[in-house]
Amino acid sequence: MERSDRGLLEAHRGGDPQAFAELVRRHGPAVLGYLRKMTGNADTADDLFQETFRRVHEKAHTLKSDRFKPWLFTIATRLALDGFRRSRRVTFLSLDRTEGPDGDGQTGADCLADEAACEPVEVMAKDERRRQVRQAIGGLPPRQRVTLVLAYYQRLSYPEIAEVLGCSTGAVKTQMFRALKSLAQRLPEGVGEMT
Amino acid sequence: MNGHASEDALIRVLFDLASDEERAAVQAHLETCAACRALRDRLAARFRSLDELDEPVDVPPVLLSQVATGLRRRRPFGVRGAWLSAIAAVLVIGSLATLEHLVRRPQPEDAMPPVASAPRSSPPRLQDSIMGSVGLAKADAAIEEVPPFAPASAIELNVLPRRDALQLTIYNAADLTLVRETRELTFKRGWNWLQLMWANTLIDPTSLSLEPLEHADKIEVQQLVYPPRLRDLGRWLIRSEVSGQVPVRITYMTSGLSWRAFYMGTLTPDEKQMHLAGYVRVDNQSGEDYENAQVRLVVGRVHLLDRIADLARRPQPYGSPIPDRLHSLRRAGDLSVWFENGDQDGDKLLFGMDGRNAWGMMGGMGGMGGFGGGLPVPKEIAKEGLSEYFLYTIEGTETIPHQWGKRLPSFEADRIPVQSLYKYDEERWGGQTMRFLSFVNDSEHELGQTPLPDGNVAVYRNTGQEGHLAYAGAMAVKYIPVGEKVELELGAAQQVKVEPVLMDTKTDHYAFDPKGNISGWDQIDTWRITVTNTRTLPVKVEVYRHFGTTYWEQTNAGDFGTCEKDGADAVKYILAVEPASKKTFTYVLTTYHGTRRENRR
Repeated sequence: MERSDRGLLEAHRGGDPQAFAELVRRHGPAVLGYLRKMTGNADTADDLFQETFRRVHEKAHTLKSDRFKPWLFTIATRLALDGFRRSRRVTFLSLDRTEGPDGDGQTGADCLADEAACEPVEVMAKDERRRQVRQAIGGLPPRQRVTLVLAYYQRLSYPEIAEVLGCSTGAVKTQMFRALKSLAQRLPEGVGEMT
Repeated sequence: MNGHASEDALIRVLFDLASDEERAAVQAHLETCAACRALRDRLAARFRSLDELDEPVDVPPVLLSQVATGLRRRRPFGVRGAWLSAIAAVLVIGSLATLEHLVRRPQPEDAMPPVASAPRSSPPRLQDSIMGSVGLAKADAAIEEVPPFAPASAIELNVLPRRDALQLTIYNAADLTLVRETRELTFKRGWNWLQLMWANTLIDPTSLSLEPLEHADKIEVQQLVYPPRLRDLGRWLIRSEVSGQVPVRITYMTSGLSWRAFYMGTLTPDEKQMHLAGYVRVDNQSGEDYENAQVRLVVGRVHLLDRIADLARRPQPYGSPIPDRLHSLRRAGDLSVWFENGDQDGDKLLFGMDGRNAWGMMGGMGGMGGFGGGLPVPKEIAKEGLSEYFLYTIEGTETIPHQWGKRLPSFEADRIPVQSLYKYDEERWGGQTMRFLSFVNDSEHELGQTPLPDGNVAVYRNTGQEGHLAYAGAMAVKYIPVGEKVELELGAAQQVKVEPVLMDTKTDHYAFDPKGNISGWDQIDTWRITVTNTRTLPVKVEVYRHFGTTYWEQTNAGDFGTCEKDGADAVKYILAVEPASKKTFTYVLTTYHGTRRENRR
């Protein structure tokens, strides 16, 4: 039977070396995807990813409930928001990574090598749409961005997001609505959408 | 609901933000209004573009390992503290034996080259110790014929135990260090992945080698894979018929470790004998911490086909101009192929020589492994002759973290007879008198058992007053073979002066050609040389005089000591000058010019 997140965290605190690895394996992809969308930079997301799990390790004793996932995303969100504040002062760009700015680790060559996207024109169009989406999300204020990414991509419920952000569900819905209203103007036209 | 549904209302309905009343009203309106339905569909299509970024994310193994490494390093040993600072060769083992039920993907050729067929004997009986230590072995289960493909996200990460043994052999001349380490790895029966990362280190990935020290017939290291798009990472594919802990030896080359020798000489008050202490300083800029390492230092020139540091910084370990040669290296000893004139049997070259002649016990530094800790146990640096190379082995083990340097005593020799000498030669040093100290690297001088590596020599003089030392001078010396004389130039002397003064000059004995023009003459110079010794010790002084021609005659007068020719156009005076005294002599130099030279060939 699969152990619960809380059980794994307790086991980690008890010295089980595999427990933490299981937690990282279980939630790592979601956290990394979230951080990449929040930061738009793979290097920064990698750094925040490590920092997130470092804090999980350090703060393991503070989790009192069984709600590990909101707690985990609270940590990741705080780090991401702190990152926004810092990034207003200075921006680091990696010169040696070849991946795209969305941090998905895909180069143009990789896309071309992808069996699912063998048409270069399609690849380019998809890239352009992705760029526009990234740009639209990146243009949102930080709290709206957090709300949108957690709700849309991480499938957290509004009450869970409220727990992450430490606010009411109503406030979350307000942020979400504002984000969507803004995105409605900025997102690229959908495939097959007629204007 | 009055009129059409607003865009705001449609957004709220689409994303479950509307109240029950609003949702009911909008849905009712949509059933009757094609325009609003169209608007809703356009909005929905637009928001669907958000899905462009909704792709599954795989956490790169490098990142997983960094997390694991970071945790490990935050535990009691926070040696380098920085969470994000890179890892030096962190080993993680990914065992796929337990993951075989996971999705099996087709194996891309670029990611996993074809595997040579491995011996497929029936599962052997495992030794009790292995079985007992783990108790997981399924000895009766067959091992998959084809190695499983290991997608990055499916690797189960386990941080390996620390190194059990570590040996560094530092080849100073080539910025090259051979690292041999032994670790207890836990294998599962079946296919195992062993992952090595060398981010931010200077490890040459083309030199990686792994060999099991036990169960060699049951553990087969099949290939080393460099996954695409993952830098500074390689994975060994290992087929194991045993389950449990097995010691393995991992060997690789790295750059960034260096050593240098230096010496401190202390002259006795009469400057006739010297106490000489040799030290070795080892510096680690390799990016990796080396703990409790046996350190061996090689003196001698090594010929490399490529620089290790360059290899380490290459984005891809393969594609090197030398990998074929290097990949063929099965054992560390095969390093010998890199020597210009070395024995082709590397093990013999490194380990098989006789004549181990440890000498000199050191004091001061030491301590078994670690800076500033442990008992002040003197270390011994043993030396072995390796043909024209020499191997110095530091006794015990040392811990040398990244960016640290460590000084170790090498040898000590007392009462070495030395000669103190002053030289004056205007052509070489202008008007300065230079001080030299000489001795021979042989048994008569309490040395001579090994060559002395390049290094700086600092010489002090014991003034005899409560053991106070006075700085005498320092210089860099080249490699000193056994039996060779060493002459240390200690710099300009202040208390011994040589002053030549031209007292008289004239020409004479002119010769004329048939037309009455001058065809030859003699130049006659009279020089007075004064040698002053203001020291409290007698000194020996060599005064060189160059004449600029090979046609000359000279007569000396006064207290000139001995005078001997030094080449065709110079003489050397050797004088012994008592303390606080001076000697003066003169010489008359006649040089011949033009036809006056003809009868003097």
